[in-house]
Order: sequence, then structure tokens, then C-alpha cells
Amino acid sequence: MDALRYLLILAACVAVTLPLEPVLGARVYRQPRRLLATLLPVVAVFVLWDLVAVARGHWWFSPRYTTGVTVAGLPWEEWLFFVVVPLCALLTFEVLGRAPRLLRRAERAGPPRRDLADEAPPARVVEDPTAAARAAAPARPETAVSRRGR
Amino acid sequence: MAAEYTIAAVAAPVAVVALELLVLRTGLLRTARYWITVAISLAFMVPVDGWLTRPDATVVHYAEEQISGVRAPWHIPVEDYGFGLALITLTLLLWQRLRPAGEGGGRDA
Repeated sequence: MDALRYLLILAACVAVTLPLEPVLGARVYRQPRRLLATLLPVVAVFVLWDLVAVARGHWWFSPRYTTGVTVAGLPWEEWLFFVVVPLCALLTFEVLGRAPRLLRRAERAGPPRRDLADEAPPARVVEDPTAAARAAAPARPETAVSRRGR
Repeated sequence: MAAEYTIAAVAAPVAVVALELLVLRTGLLRTARYWITVAISLAFMVPVDGWLTRPDATVVHYAEEQISGVRAPWHIPVEDYGFGLALITLTLLLWQRLRPAGEGGGRDA
């Protein structure tokens, strides 16, 4: 289990951000070509930095907490890090781009506004037919307006 | 001898910003959407990096003479934030640059 530690940390990042696409409408996984074109230079630049840093002894990786599989001299977990972190950032960025629309949708689906809620008192035993007519009267036209566009 | 990672961690975000201003010119750095993304991403970086650098089970070890020695919170070298900022910013800049025609400019946040 120890050897999987770095991998599991990365897997947790992917898992936590996964709902951002299907639930909150981020469009990252659904643009695979754009994603690949974005990630390739990023991975290239940062793997290069990493290789130089390791060669110069800035940092090194625990043999105990990595699988031991290396690609071009770096643990493959480190390669994945340069995919996973950008991916999480892109999902966040995309959701924020949709925020105005999400808020509007939440507003439309939200609880009725106060002025509408106050409109219809709870039905009581009716003795006066005119009161019954008043209670059953349609709400202000505004109600119809707020339902537009659904 | 200077701490090389410290220098690199400062130089990297500066280089990425220079790339934006001189070459890419997406305007991304002027949007609230970018800064909020950075804030959220770096906030989530703390538990991840904290886990990778925890003293009792360290995944990534740093040469003390190559870093400033400032670690916060827990055992995270401050240099990692410069590294992370450069990584996230470069990603978002390229993503914006490759925006398909017809998609908004992202200035709505």
C-alpha cells in the first residue's frame, strides 16, 4: 500500500474534481483535443524542469512511497502530477465560467419569492362565496412572467 | 551558494506572465475568473502538497541547501507555491489561447 501512496493522492484529486464536469457543466473532458493541446506543452516544460531539478539535487522521490515505475528517469507519478493538477485547475476554471448561468438556473428553480408566497393564504372553511372567489383568484401576472423560458 | 529552487520558483511565474504579456496576450490575467481559479487551486494544493511533504512519510524530499527553508503550512516549502502558480497559470493561458471561436471571453466572472 505504501508504494501506491503518491498514486492514491493523485487519484483523490481526480475523484474530488470528477463531478465538476457532469454535475456543474465544466467542459474539459469533452474537449479532448483542446485538452491534449494544452497539456502537451505544460507536461513538456515541467518535466524538463523536474529533470533538471532532480539532476541538480533540488529534490528526489521516496522509493518507499512510489511504485518504482519510471518514465524518462522520473517516477510516472510525477508525469501524472503534471496532468492531474492542470486538469483540476481547468475544471475549476470552466465551472467558474459557467457560474452566471448556474446562478440563473438556481434562481429559477429556487423557492418561490416571498411576494408570491404571501399571495395565497391557506384555504379555510369558506362561508362567504366572495371570499372564496378572492382566494381562488389567479395570482398577479408576474407569476406567469417568472415561469417564462423554462 | 544561492538556493536554486528558490530562484527557479520565483522566476517561473515571472516567465509565464512575460509569456502572456509578450506572446499569448489572452487577457486572462485581468479576469476575476483566473484569480478565483488560482485561489481555489492553491487552496487545494495545500492538503495535497502537505501530504507529499509530511516529515513522517515524505514522498518528495528537498535538499535543504536548495530551498529558503521557509515551510508553511506544516512542511510545505514556500517555493512549491511558485511552482504551482506557474503550472496552473501556464495551463489556463494555453487553454484560453486554444478557445474555440464563439466561446465567450471569460470576462463574465
